[in-house]
Amino acid sequence: MTATEMGSNEQYNFEVVKKFAFMTIIWGLLGMSIGVYIASELAWPFMNMDIPYITFGRLRPAHTSSVIFGFGGSALFATSYYIVQRTCQARLVSDFLASFTFWGWQAAIIMGDISYMLGHTQSREYAEMEWPIDILIEIVWVSYLAVFVGTIMRRKQPHIYVANWFFMSFILATALLHTFNNLAIPVSLFHMKSYSLFSGTQDAMTQWWYGHNAVGFFLTAAFLGMMYYFVPKQAGRPIYSYRLSIVHFWALSFLYMWVGAHHLHWTALPDWTSTLAATFSIMLLLPSWGGMINGIMTLSGAWDKLRTDPVMRFMIVALSFYGMATFEGPLMALKDVNALSHYTDWTVGHVHSGALGWVAMISFGSLYHMIPRLWGTKLWSEKLVGVHFWLATIGVLMYITAMWISGITQGLMWRAFDQFGNLQYSFVESVAAMHPLYEMRAFGGMFFLSGMILMAINVMMTIRQGSTESAKATAAKLSMVNA
Amino acid sequence: MGWIYWFSSFNHTKPLALVIMFVTFVAIVFYVYGDRKRGERLENNKNIPFLDDESIKENEK
Amino acid sequence: MFKHEWLETNIGLLTVATMLAISIGGLVEIAPLFFIKGTVEKVDGVRPYTPLELRGRDIYQREGCYLCHSQMIRPFRDEALRYGHYSLAAESQYDHPFQWGSKRTGPDLARVGKKYSNEWMVQHLVAPRSLVPQSVMPNFPWLLTNQLDYSDIQDRMKALRLAGVPYSLNKAEYDANVKKFGAATAKMLDITHARQNLIAQAQENNYDGDRSGISEMDALVAYLQVLGTMVDFSKYDDDAFVKYR
Repeated sequence: MTATEMGSNEQYNFEVVKKFAFMTIIWGLLGMSIGVYIASELAWPFMNMDIPYITFGRLRPAHTSSVIFGFGGSALFATSYYIVQRTCQARLVSDFLASFTFWGWQAAIIMGDISYMLGHTQSREYAEMEWPIDILIEIVWVSYLAVFVGTIMRRKQPHIYVANWFFMSFILATALLHTFNNLAIPVSLFHMKSYSLFSGTQDAMTQWWYGHNAVGFFLTAAFLGMMYYFVPKQAGRPIYSYRLSIVHFWALSFLYMWVGAHHLHWTALPDWTSTLAATFSIMLLLPSWGGMINGIMTLSGAWDKLRTDPVMRFMIVALSFYGMATFEGPLMALKDVNALSHYTDWTVGHVHSGALGWVAMISFGSLYHMIPRLWGTKLWSEKLVGVHFWLATIGVLMYITAMWISGITQGLMWRAFDQFGNLQYSFVESVAAMHPLYEMRAFGGMFFLSGMILMAINVMMTIRQGSTESAKATAAKLSMVNA
Repeated sequence: MGWIYWFSSFNHTKPLALVIMFVTFVAIVFYVYGDRKRGERLENNKNIPFLDDESIKENEK
Repeated sequence: MFKHEWLETNIGLLTVATMLAISIGGLVEIAPLFFIKGTVEKVDGVRPYTPLELRGRDIYQREGCYLCHSQMIRPFRDEALRYGHYSLAAESQYDHPFQWGSKRTGPDLARVGKKYSNEWMVQHLVAPRSLVPQSVMPNFPWLLTNQLDYSDIQDRMKALRLAGVPYSLNKAEYDANVKKFGAATAKMLDITHARQNLIAQAQENNYDGDRSGISEMDALVAYLQVLGTMVDFSKYDDDAFVKYR
């Protein structure tokens, strides 16, 4: 029997999960490095080097795509394929399609990053990829949906576990968002450039409906799916309340789609739209905190795990950041707060407390749980996980503190008047005031990145350890057969 | 078909939407928490992640 | 009687119900924007970009300017003093895609047009810190040396025409533009003469200070200098636009 035959006869398709898990690490390293670099460009502008390909404006989409779609996306593919197989006790419905989603997804992000550096962009935040790449993503996404639904249909038991609902909601919503936000007319069939179908106000609304729901479904609902499986598994006890998770799911899925317009307060968007969005943003606090409580309370009765288990610590701190960011979000969606916070670094800080604190930390925790099980071994070093945890936590805290201070300072300086009723500060004075905070942010990013590097080392060593162990085991089996 | 224009005014559709959504929400909450037996059945599903082979093997040991 | 059990045990139903839950919000908030009159005000003066300005706008997008500069002035006293009249929806009605932005690492540019001389703009784009020492903007020296590629300008305008921008391809469309924007503007919106118009505008205004060729700088400065200048606000009452908010 050959190796490939053995592979396809196994109960689960872990090959594709392994590939995605590996790429999660690679994209994490790459995307976060670009992040640190562009943060440094803002602190020390000489780093733009007068080279067009690496200026802030061209690298920034490469940073967001690499971390959101590369790191986050690969983590979601890996964990969703892992979870759907384990909770349905069924193998992925098609190895070919699953493998296609891997290569297609990786190709899309690589092409995206390169095209941004060459100057091809739709200039729609978080959807900068030009039309040919968008079409590839659309095909990959439909295949993903087919694999996921097909696998659920093969499940061994009647009930579909709630984590899979969250993944379903994420896949469907992303398909919807991607399709409508990327409606554009190409200049010609062999031209990368396209012009969006909508213009002005309608275009802005479509983009931020996409933009905020990319956060809501890609970076929240899907990672909640991850949480609903890995937190119970790592804690060794079931989720705190299954009924709460059902209410959580429906409320979150329904409410999120309304809130995008809070990115457009006080703009030329009609008032009724942004008021509606602000109202729903506040309501959204309830399901968000419901989910956070559900996750954290899973640990009730086993709180000592927080002291002894660094992987658990990643997950619980991720949930705490999730709670903090989902409290800050509705606050910033209030029109009066938004008048101060919009256009400032406060928004950037808010995004990163979600992206680094919640998304990255829950992914780290889940990967540390999943990777040893995939390669049939133990983590190479638990101690290194602990170090990673502290580097990451210090990094996030430095980052968001710097951005809170700089954001609020900017907002206050822009609206300050002197005793004669004139503007007190010129714009560039606010830029100068940001300088130390931009340095602090860059250092925070460096902390977070060095944690990521430790993780990469730990994972590579774990994989190596797993491969040698399984080689030994196979050799032992063979010798037994021969004997 | 004149009745359809009734829906074109926000003054009509806003309260209507509110009522529909609120009723749906209350229905879900009532469904989930209203009946003890159903509640127990739902809560049982929380063990699904522990039903896969790895945990079964561990239990057999 | 409805049973949630059907949903949780039936992937088809679960999909449909989820789809319903996630579709309503977008439908209610986006669809009406296309139908409600008054979402975009009726204002005189707003016109599509000329071929040269259009290419400048493409470069503005290419360099990722929108990531640090907004083009949306909010109705606050400080913004009125710093940037001018708050932005109207009508002013970005031909912007495919919109460039409102979300971040002001640098100042808002919605009304930057005609506030600085061409020479200042060029120098500031090539070496911002030579004029504003505290600036963190990158240098863009290649804009001066790169010759503008306008070989596909007609294809670009045709694509925008498909998206609804009134660039004219035939006599009827041209006449409609004359009626709507006046003869001088209608001439600039004529796709068949796009190249001549582009060259003429660059030669006439000589944005980059070098008449020997048309650089990317010519196009970008032409675009920046028209931003926010199309509507003559002295023609309107102070609160003429309040009812649209």
